[in-house]
Amino acid sequence: MFPIYKKELQSFFYTPFAYAMAALFMLLFSLSFFTGIARLEGSNTWAFSFTEMFYSVILYFIFLIPILTMRTFADERKNGTEVLLMTSPVSTGKIVIAKFLANITVYLFMLAGTIVFPIITSMKGEVVVSQLICAYIGIFCWGAMYIALGMLISSLTETPILAAIIGEVIMFALLFVDDLANTAFISQYPKVQSAIYAFAAQPRFAYFSEGFIRLSDLVFFGSAIIVLLIWTYISIEKRRWNRG
Amino acid sequence: MITIENLTKYYGNNRAVNHISFTINDNEILGFLGPNGAGKSTTMNMIAGYLPMSDGKVTICGADVTKEPSKAKRNIGYLPEIPPVYPDMKVHEYLSFCAGLKKVPRGERKAEIDRVMGLLKIKDVKGKLIRNLSKGYKQRVGFAQALLGNPRFLILDEPTVGLDPNQVAEVRSIIKDLKKEHSVIFSSHILSEVSAVCDRVIIINKGDIRAIDTIENLEKSFATSQVLHIKVKGSKAKAASIIEMTKGIKEITSIEDEGSDIYSFTVTMEGDADTIRDSVMAECLKNGVSIIEVFAERPNLENVFIELINRPAKKSGLQELLDETPDVSGEAEENHTEKEEE
Repeated sequence: MFPIYKKELQSFFYTPFAYAMAALFMLLFSLSFFTGIARLEGSNTWAFSFTEMFYSVILYFIFLIPILTMRTFADERKNGTEVLLMTSPVSTGKIVIAKFLANITVYLFMLAGTIVFPIITSMKGEVVVSQLICAYIGIFCWGAMYIALGMLISSLTETPILAAIIGEVIMFALLFVDDLANTAFISQYPKVQSAIYAFAAQPRFAYFSEGFIRLSDLVFFGSAIIVLLIWTYISIEKRRWNRG
Repeated sequence: MITIENLTKYYGNNRAVNHISFTINDNEILGFLGPNGAGKSTTMNMIAGYLPMSDGKVTICGADVTKEPSKAKRNIGYLPEIPPVYPDMKVHEYLSFCAGLKKVPRGERKAEIDRVMGLLKIKDVKGKLIRNLSKGYKQRVGFAQALLGNPRFLILDEPTVGLDPNQVAEVRSIIKDLKKEHSVIFSSHILSEVSAVCDRVIIINKGDIRAIDTIENLEKSFATSQVLHIKVKGSKAKAASIIEMTKGIKEITSIEDEGSDIYSFTVTMEGDADTIRDSVMAECLKNGVSIIEVFAERPNLENVFIELINRPAKKSGLQELLDETPDVSGEAEENHTEKEEE
């Protein structure tokens, strides 16, 4: 398992990939940071809130996470290296976990870059550390879930580009699950509404960004990750059976 | 030892491999011969544990591939048709990744990588990106990967495709050397390659095994009408009568006058070729006819191959194939033959 994790990390960090991703992420983050500062001008009553920033940063995830995960399995298939992994004495489950952990590591690297913004803020003002930590936990959970989702999509497709595009569409759609639940049509049926609402990740993230860590939210993200990873495992195994 | 029992693979309704069974013994090179699309790669993928089988069982050193995959896969080195290399990695990076994947103990990795690189002569490219290597080198890097960890069985799927003749010869000699410590299953659709390297051959077509045997036996068993060429010096009539009277000789089909009392006889015979040849020679010598040249014509592997794959599918096994009388007396003579001078 460890060699695969190491190899994945090498493929991210020995190439400009991880650095470009981290830079892009910081750039996007800085955009919302900048707007935040701009709004501060003239009034001291406006609290500068990282919470809001994190909220808008989620939108950028949709573009970044699929690019991070697109190569996970689609590339192996394209290069014909899937055979190598599958015929080695490492089980499919371990391959999935190793690749997931590698993606998470790159993601943490991306997140680490953004710590520079609270540091800048703390030089001139005050940062509510507890809230910031909560927001980071929330954004980490959300990102981990999207990584698992991106890996699943990568395992279903043949080319990385296709995986990225499909990933973007699905992740974008998932942002609006709570809006869907709140539409007039769905809200006629409260049971259906609550069922759909249970799948919405956005309101759960809202709790994190406001400084709440609720067990139910952690369980939600945790179980979503587990389900998606198991699904990825199944899709890889299924592909082997159906290969023609 | 690898035991394959009743191995079957369906792709949807399409049967790619049909209940094949055979064993691979220790220290043996087994050739897997068949036309394109015969099911060679599918079978190899199933043995290596990449594709699940629809039915049947593969046991590698006592471990079932589906039930104890990690134990079974430790004994296998697999080189698929397309070498499984990462274009973005350097050769030594790639090999050290593979060594880790195959659970080569950390301390032995460096020596092990050095060993396989030396064996395949890729030391001079170890710092290069695989992307920039030629096809031949990529193939060798893939081959090196299969050898890592010194597995007992090597499965090589068309290892010489796309290589230049020089490299083909090198790869063949590597495979021959491997026999000392490993068993090799090796597929090809090139006949000369299989006959040059393998101890035993499996001929497969459309998912069915058409024959499993050594090359000599295959050739021998398909000698449909045995033809003997005898060149003698002396009296034509005397020689003809002696030859015709020898036990086992069916008829003299042609006599050619080659000048200065030399005649070349072509005869057909029935029974064991070796004894007949010996007795013809003995009779001639006894009666004062001197023999210049004797050789038996035999169908080569190419004829056997074409013959076998064009046959309507039989269940399997050479014995069954031998039980029916082959009916290609004309063909064998038309095709060029290997000559064996005595």
